[in-house]
Amino acid sequence: MSGSKCARLQGARLQQLLDSVDSILFDCDGVIWRGDQPIPGAPQVINLLKRHGKRVFFVTNNSTKTRRMYADKMSTLGFDVTEQEVFGTAFCCAAFLQTACGLRGQKVFLMGSQAMRQELEAVGIRQTGVGPDHVSGGPGDWANVPLDPEVRAVVVGFDQDFSYMKLNRALQYLIQKDCLFVGTNRDTRLPLEGGRAVPGTGCLLQAVETAAQRQAQTVGKPSPFMFDCLASQFGVERERCLMVGDRLDTDILLGSNCGLKTLLTLTGVSTLEDVEGHEKSGCEERRKMVPDFYVESIADLLPALQG
Amino acid sequence: MAGAFGFKGCQKIRGPQIRSLLEAKDFFLFDCDGVIWHGENAITGAAKVVNALIRHGKNVVFVTNNSTRPRENYVHKFSRLGFTDVMLEQIFSSSYCSALYLRDVVKICGQVFVIGCEGLRRELQEAGIPCLEETDDPDATIYDCALAPDVKAVLVGHDDKLTFLKLAKASCYLKDPDCLFLATDNDPWHPLSSGRILPGSGSLTAALEVASGRKATVIGKPSRFMFECISSQFRGVDPAQCLMVGDRLETDMLFGSNCGLDTMLTLTGVSQIEEAQEYRNSDLSTNHSLVPDYVVDTIADFLPAFEELEEESN
Repeated sequence: MSGSKCARLQGARLQQLLDSVDSILFDCDGVIWRGDQPIPGAPQVINLLKRHGKRVFFVTNNSTKTRRMYADKMSTLGFDVTEQEVFGTAFCCAAFLQTACGLRGQKVFLMGSQAMRQELEAVGIRQTGVGPDHVSGGPGDWANVPLDPEVRAVVVGFDQDFSYMKLNRALQYLIQKDCLFVGTNRDTRLPLEGGRAVPGTGCLLQAVETAAQRQAQTVGKPSPFMFDCLASQFGVERERCLMVGDRLDTDILLGSNCGLKTLLTLTGVSTLEDVEGHEKSGCEERRKMVPDFYVESIADLLPALQG
Repeated sequence: MAGAFGFKGCQKIRGPQIRSLLEAKDFFLFDCDGVIWHGENAITGAAKVVNALIRHGKNVVFVTNNSTRPRENYVHKFSRLGFTDVMLEQIFSSSYCSALYLRDVVKICGQVFVIGCEGLRRELQEAGIPCLEETDDPDATIYDCALAPDVKAVLVGHDDKLTFLKLAKASCYLKDPDCLFLATDNDPWHPLSSGRILPGSGSLTAALEVASGRKATVIGKPSRFMFECISSQFRGVDPAQCLMVGDRLETDMLFGSNCGLDTMLTLTGVSQIEEAQEYRNSDLSTNHSLVPDYVVDTIADFLPAFEELEEESN
């Protein structure tokens, strides 16, 4: 990357950047919306980019919605989007299990959402485990839970029904060495309004990894799989692609890892102080998390689109 | 480190060597699971060994990371399994020591949010530590549940009733940097007598460390704190006089090493001698702390040494 890093994106620099890319990838939470509220100006940005002939995609680590559900939410909030443009980890995890793991027509133990179940079923992968799983009996019973002999993998996504019993089942499956282990992402938390936060999939994954003393393969950002999935489907050129996100350790790192230009928006998790910390560290891995540019909000792109 | 025994260094020892050790040490610390018993079955000969040590005037204590039972339960279990004269004061569990930590070290003023089972709560209550009552209605979620205002510590132990909501609440409480983050132990999994394993407190603690971005203070082995509890109760214990006997390298041996005690691995539990040898051969010097000084197949190997001692005194 030439020039100074993490430059504020405005004026001529903004126009130059837009002219130099054909495809723009947006994270969702903290970038185009917060919960159910669109970031002010975000729908106009997306829609105008498309009208200017740019291809727009959405790449989110959130595994609680199918791409159809995302498209519906986006329509409701005024974004002009089709489901093919959305790459969530539920969809990509199903793709990963099918292509990288060769699991079509087989079964997995799923610690995850109904959305994950639907995306798995759409590619012919059956599951067991979704939903509440309350403890009963004693330790002897738990260690001897009946295991479905068809299960080939343990798959972990965001699961509000997470419980000790589910953790136990996952462990019992993973003790079998030929059982695969896949997680959607490692995000540590999802911020909520009012200062609360929801523990992210990363916490649940860590619990399973610690108990089983095994590492999962993860599908979501910053792993390049989601970009590869998108690129292979749509023929995207890395050099003419921009990744827009709010998290340095997922969005920006994905961009760096895939050779994309990167833009940080400050409407979500990461701050300029975080960027400075990475910039000043001597660590090469951390410096990959420094974005090329930043904006206060993606609405800052509007001046270049409305003229 | 204490002692000048020529046979130290991850070596299996027998009769005369064990006898020298028994003469030299007067404080014996035993782990329980895999050392003294497997579930409801005592290791063959273990009761005789413990009874003999006590009869010979040795101090014997039991140091366990198991946080699920109150100490009274252990007293009854010892009695049931033929260990005569084991008293409450000899039992140090991670739950009991967590209560001591909160009461005597932290001198906590405020409530404790507990992720753990009834046994842990009982120990806290007995020590006079206020625990938050769990009063969520079944439909409560992190978006709308009540959060107590004066939670000054989150304590994580083994919890078979763990839910997502508990994890979420704990991480909210831990946003306050003045709220302490404690864990009874870090064991990633616990073995059952059948040889099967279950998720341990360590896996729950790991989840909460990720959620909160903070590291827990671990009370149980291999942290030194349980030794400090023992030392405090016995009015000072000389590490040179101690032998720590356990079955798990990452907890028992490291604990002994951290406290400056001689360590003995018994092979009736979790760790195998090959694992100890790997740690010994490791390039990482920190791994050397996990290597036991002595190894026995079972603590029943102490018995011949006692028979000799008894013959001599007759």
